[in-house]
Amino acid sequence: MEEIEVTDHNTENTKAKILRAFIEHVLETGREPVSVYKFAQSLQIREEEFYQYYTSFQGVKGGVWEQIFEQTIAMMEAQEVYRGYSAKEKLLSFYFTWIEVLRKNRSYLLALYQGQAGYKRAMPNELRSFRNRFRDFANLIILEGKESEQIAERRGLSDKYDDALWAETLFILQFWLKDTSTSFERTDAAIEKSVNLIFDLIGKTAVDSLFDFAKFLYQSR
Amino acid sequence: MANHMKEQERIPTSKVQRASKFISAGAKVGGNYIKHYAQKMVNPSLSKEELHTSNAADIYDSLSELKGSALKVAQMMSMDKNVLPRAYQDKFIMAQYSAPPLSYPLVVRTFQKYFGVVPEALFDTFTRSAVNAASIGQVHKATKDGKTFAVKIQYPGVAASVSSDLKMVRPFAYRLLNMNSKELDHYMSEVEEKLLEETDYQLEVARSEEISRACSHIPDLSFPTYYPGLSSERIITMDWLEGAHLKEWLASNPTPDERNKIGQALWDFYHHQVHHLKQVHADPHPGNFIIQEGVKLGVIDFGCVKVIPEDFYRGYFSLIKQDALMQEKELNQIFFDLEFISEQDTAAEQAYFKGVFKEMISLLGQPFHAETFNFANDAYFDRIYSMGDRISKDKMFKNSRQARGSRHGLFINRTYFGLYSLLNQLRANITTTKPDWLK
Repeated sequence: MEEIEVTDHNTENTKAKILRAFIEHVLETGREPVSVYKFAQSLQIREEEFYQYYTSFQGVKGGVWEQIFEQTIAMMEAQEVYRGYSAKEKLLSFYFTWIEVLRKNRSYLLALYQGQAGYKRAMPNELRSFRNRFRDFANLIILEGKESEQIAERRGLSDKYDDALWAETLFILQFWLKDTSTSFERTDAAIEKSVNLIFDLIGKTAVDSLFDFAKFLYQSR
Repeated sequence: MANHMKEQERIPTSKVQRASKFISAGAKVGGNYIKHYAQKMVNPSLSKEELHTSNAADIYDSLSELKGSALKVAQMMSMDKNVLPRAYQDKFIMAQYSAPPLSYPLVVRTFQKYFGVVPEALFDTFTRSAVNAASIGQVHKATKDGKTFAVKIQYPGVAASVSSDLKMVRPFAYRLLNMNSKELDHYMSEVEEKLLEETDYQLEVARSEEISRACSHIPDLSFPTYYPGLSSERIITMDWLEGAHLKEWLASNPTPDERNKIGQALWDFYHHQVHHLKQVHADPHPGNFIIQEGVKLGVIDFGCVKVIPEDFYRGYFSLIKQDALMQEKELNQIFFDLEFISEQDTAAEQAYFKGVFKEMISLLGQPFHAETFNFANDAYFDRIYSMGDRISKDKMFKNSRQARGSRHGLFINRTYFGLYSLLNQLRANITTTKPDWLK
């Protein structure tokens, strides 16, 4: 029993060590390490030990993103007021907290992603697990929004809402990477406005009523 | 009016979106003109006033949706009562009260950025939604240890968008204000400078403290205490002043004595600032004043403070002496100094503009010419408006090669028009004091 605990502890340690060393390497040299072999050597672990945790640097980068996500959620939920938020406010709160966490890692992220045109090319695989976690979070919000009727149920469309939120997330990331305003105020405004827009779009709008009315007229012909 | 008060759900984001807002207003205004002339053919008695009313509504709708500096420009235009037709003014005055709120998470975010904690950690209670909207921020009510505070939070990105917003307002201001383009540049650059100052909340706290301390001896005035420790570049914390806004107070039928008392406090406040401090609260719109219990005038919002340079001050205020006392030569020199006329002008132009400015000055200086002045005198205000109207239509001004009047004059004029119009609304009879050197 005791032994298992010790290994667990070590696992956590090595994993965190790899992430930290990777970030440090990118910060200091501006790019990824040349090979896993070299990287493992500098960490004083064996190469196969590295593969126990990650299969490639791609995976390590994904690990950094996961860490960012976990930190965001933890910071956000630590705010007492968060529990009382509406769906829209929860999403806003997520983005504002997320940007705060990103800020701590700005140099690292700039080194990796600056100058890469378009998020589709720049954010392929390593964001996958971040995206999955975000989707789970987004779906919770959407569910809550539907219950409180902030979000409209539209057949064939409403299961695409999480995609829309993910696209917005990528937009905010790109916006923030390029933002040069004092303390990233432009990003704050971009978040506020884009969330307002999204909720206007997925909320009940005149189009829904129009559609409903048209259907009624058609049926009562 | 109710349709204008509905909560706005979306702020136009990009420059393109914002620009298209202006264009849509432009199209509507154009439409109003067509409608006006079409109706006029049928009904020749239709007045221009009605046209102005529908134009003002459309322009206001667009401006209020833009918020930030565009809204501020609308306010400034509404202040220059002499320049705008009456219907526009009423509409723009609305801008002083309503703007859409920001989300609470953004408020929390701003607090975390500047203080590292959530609002609830600094205060015992903090309202989730704004209790009041200011043009570039919103006000929340907070309490701590039994005291009530007003916490003003600035919209993010306002400072960064001042210049581009002003560029977009320009064509509108051009049509509304009827200025030539040189004059408008002159106007806009002064406005831009003041707006940028207004986004600097630390400057505002410093100035508020300075001016309220310097004016503390004036009777019937009160100022909130400011808390620099709870303020930052984007947040201002001050005491919550309990009381009614000027308009609400006036609606409650105060006695003439009470109205005179408030009016006199207002006059003394401005007198002291202009003539002793040489810097002035240049935003005398009704929303910045609160009437407190015991008929005291509470002054809030020192966002717009104009510092008056000494040489401008001398020239400008020596004009309020009655003309008879003035030598022609002396007057000419002042007109040159204040940039009303210049060497570029022909003799005929000089004579013409001098005539107009003399008339303007003697009219505006009238309250100073006697010991007391009754601002309830609507005929006096109608004369000011009609003169403003006449000047704005004047071909000589429109075709003038240069801007007329020093840029400092812009805010001083605005301050005095604002003050006069407040006193007019108060229907107050005022002991109009003059500085010693003018007696």
